[in-house]
Amino acid sequence: MRNELTEYNYDWRFWSILDNASKLFDATEKEFTSTMAYTPSFRATTGKLSTTGKAGHRLVKATARYFENILTARSRGKKIGLITYNFSPAVLFAFDVVPYCLEGMSAFYAAAWNRGIYESLDYCCEVGFTETSCSGQRVALGPVLAGLAERPDFIVCSTPGVCDSNANAFAFASAYLDVPFCQLNYPPTLTDERAVEYHRADFRNMLSFLEEQTGKKVDVDKMREVCEEIIKQDEIICEIQDYQRLVPCPVPGIFNLFIYDIKVLFSGIKDGTDILEAMLEIVKDNAERGVAGDGVERLRGFFYYIDHYCIQMKYWRWLEKNGISHIGTMMTDFWQANAPYARGREEEGYRMDLSSLDSMIDSLAAQSSRMPMVKQIRGPYDAPHMWLDDTVGVANLMKADFLAFMGTMGCRNTWSMVKLITRDMEKLGYPALILYADSFDNRIEPVDTFLGKIDEFLRVRDIRGWKGAVWK
Amino acid sequence: MREEIREAVTVLANRYVMKWKSGGGRIVGYPCSYMPVEVIAAAGMLPFRLRAMEVVSTSIGSSYYGPVVCSFPKCILQIAGERKYAFLDGAVVCNGCDTMRRLDDCWRKANDDMPGILPSYFAHFAVPHKVTDYSVKWFAGEIRKLIDSLEKHFSVTVSDDKLKMAIAEYNRSRTLLGDLDAMRSGPDAFLSGTDAMAIFIAGTAMPAADFNALLEDVLGGLKKKKDALPGRRLLLVGSVIDDIDLFKTIEEAGAVIVADTVCFGSKDRTDLVREDGDPVAALAERYLGSVKCPRMFGDYKRRFAFLKELAEKTGAEGVILQNIRFCDLHGSENGIFERDLEAAGIPCLRMEREYGPLGDEGRVRMRIDALLERIGAGGGGSRRALSADRSR
Repeated sequence: MRNELTEYNYDWRFWSILDNASKLFDATEKEFTSTMAYTPSFRATTGKLSTTGKAGHRLVKATARYFENILTARSRGKKIGLITYNFSPAVLFAFDVVPYCLEGMSAFYAAAWNRGIYESLDYCCEVGFTETSCSGQRVALGPVLAGLAERPDFIVCSTPGVCDSNANAFAFASAYLDVPFCQLNYPPTLTDERAVEYHRADFRNMLSFLEEQTGKKVDVDKMREVCEEIIKQDEIICEIQDYQRLVPCPVPGIFNLFIYDIKVLFSGIKDGTDILEAMLEIVKDNAERGVAGDGVERLRGFFYYIDHYCIQMKYWRWLEKNGISHIGTMMTDFWQANAPYARGREEEGYRMDLSSLDSMIDSLAAQSSRMPMVKQIRGPYDAPHMWLDDTVGVANLMKADFLAFMGTMGCRNTWSMVKLITRDMEKLGYPALILYADSFDNRIEPVDTFLGKIDEFLRVRDIRGWKGAVWK
Repeated sequence: MREEIREAVTVLANRYVMKWKSGGGRIVGYPCSYMPVEVIAAAGMLPFRLRAMEVVSTSIGSSYYGPVVCSFPKCILQIAGERKYAFLDGAVVCNGCDTMRRLDDCWRKANDDMPGILPSYFAHFAVPHKVTDYSVKWFAGEIRKLIDSLEKHFSVTVSDDKLKMAIAEYNRSRTLLGDLDAMRSGPDAFLSGTDAMAIFIAGTAMPAADFNALLEDVLGGLKKKKDALPGRRLLLVGSVIDDIDLFKTIEEAGAVIVADTVCFGSKDRTDLVREDGDPVAALAERYLGSVKCPRMFGDYKRRFAFLKELAEKTGAEGVILQNIRFCDLHGSENGIFERDLEAAGIPCLRMEREYGPLGDEGRVRMRIDALLERIGAGGGGSRRALSADRSR
């Protein structure tokens, strides 16, 4: 790692960017524009977030607080739990533990910073992690391993049985840093009695781990508080996703990113609910006016795995500029029983039952077992409730004109079945494209190259008479 | 090396397989050390560990798998697509790792395009990634599910008595393999790693009773040996290997592989299955708790302790940490093994390779030479310094 990149704590560095950016949203337009001139590294990202008004403003403020909580955890006597994005942080909030979501950080670094992320990625390999492993963890794991970010007190990983690449990164971190490790392990099925029993036993085992690490017992009142907030958040998310079905889609594309940001960073706390309320206002207003969230809608794209985060959010800006409504990814579907895509499939969803501590724990266990990826890629891709089922359901419900896959080069699981699902979706009449970009590592296929491939695909397949993208 | 062993290692449809088939026997393939083979044997069938050493291309495998995945399951699919697994009556795919478990999806879909390449019995078998009371119980349930489905499909009965007999037979294999292992890992090595590996592999491709008889015979001959093999004592660790030429290349450079922890190797022989009580519970406990693989996340310390003890017990002068490209589980764990073994004064070589007939022998040989040179020179200084620096 270059010396210049080891000068500052990464968490502090990004807290300062976000904290300053959040203040900027209160500034006059002139102040905002003038300041932006001095922030070339993250100008476009901040600019993009500023276009979402109150929702973006609240997101930046909440994210700054997220970093601040990490930075001040030790001085406040709190523990830091390193987690993956497939794990709802709500239960950590109930234990008063500060969550540190690795992929959330990775996405943020990739989006907001032009320099430094490659050194982070590569640092992991310098200390023994494979270069072929997933970039989603490596971007933010580098500084943690290098001692340039806050050291976690323990790790909770919820991907064994779902994604080896992900689980392996956390297992590596645990072994390398010698910090306690706890895993939530999932069977390949979702709703049968054996699976449900396993989910419940495993979640309780994880709670025992948290009790051991924090020296605290489960607090019923705190648990109820986060569960109540989850209910509020889920209702708003489901309403937004119902609006997403409209043509034109009144939901700005970037709100998809906001939805999963909220679920992985702010689930169960008021910060998340506040952002969602602001989002819903904007969506409702667009719907009433009959306008698309991103202005004009030319096409509707469903991204059947994850999104792309590198280099100033260029992918998001390109979709908006070209009138391509982003109508979701695997990452946006959390499987609340009242979600629009769960209608008629309610047994696959989760419900929050706050009648007792046991019922709350069971609800959280059910929620965890339906997190993105955890639900869809745990069993054979074409088994009931899995990736194919969900992709067909959402593509149909959201009226997708085309589908596109992108992920990371380290994703052994999806790279071992993406050709199969893509072929199936084509047979069902959905033009589907496999992209070889890496969501967190722009060196694999530069953002302009893969956007060009989407453009070419839309033209060659003549999707809704696509005449070519706007680039300037 | 005996001809029948060589054949079992290099030819899929070897003489034991053909004899079993011609006698009306059924064969069920499986790809991973976590498969309780006793269940298949108790059903009166021959468990056959899937391999792909006859592969010369991955044109079929790569049509279903993506580009950035391990070549081992890709090659198995290739062999299946070329109908070289026509002797299989069934196959059980398990989630040893993500790429391996997708052999289920890919093989089934390839069968849509090439009807008949899928055995008539095809099952998915899941293995938890942790050892707890409830995961062992769940795994026992999964074994019972497998038994039920074998019974239903093949109209056979798997009784507790049959399971116990199969357990005893395979425990006998494990005990004999332990004796065999001792012939190469003791102070004087009377058996090369290449020959040991060939015997281990052969055991996965023939009936256990035949294998045990063969083993007893081999052991009888080995016990008469007086001349120890020369060479630096090395330990081989990491991803699956069933290529004895890789062992040969290492040993021809002036080494003896005195122990290994790889799939197909001695890893699978450690720990016996309990022979009392409920046989399904005993299988669940043994398979989930004993096989040492980085797929069991968060269990690094136990595996490192085992490895370090093995290195000390066998007097290993160096450790080869290898992985198939894209095998991040072994590749990453090898990274930490390297740090911790070097810190303990044990020189290591970390090496990435592809599955299949050794295509890059020159590169491998050069790297082995470098390790042996380092051991010969009593080296390790610079790497130990690097390791210590990393651990800070």
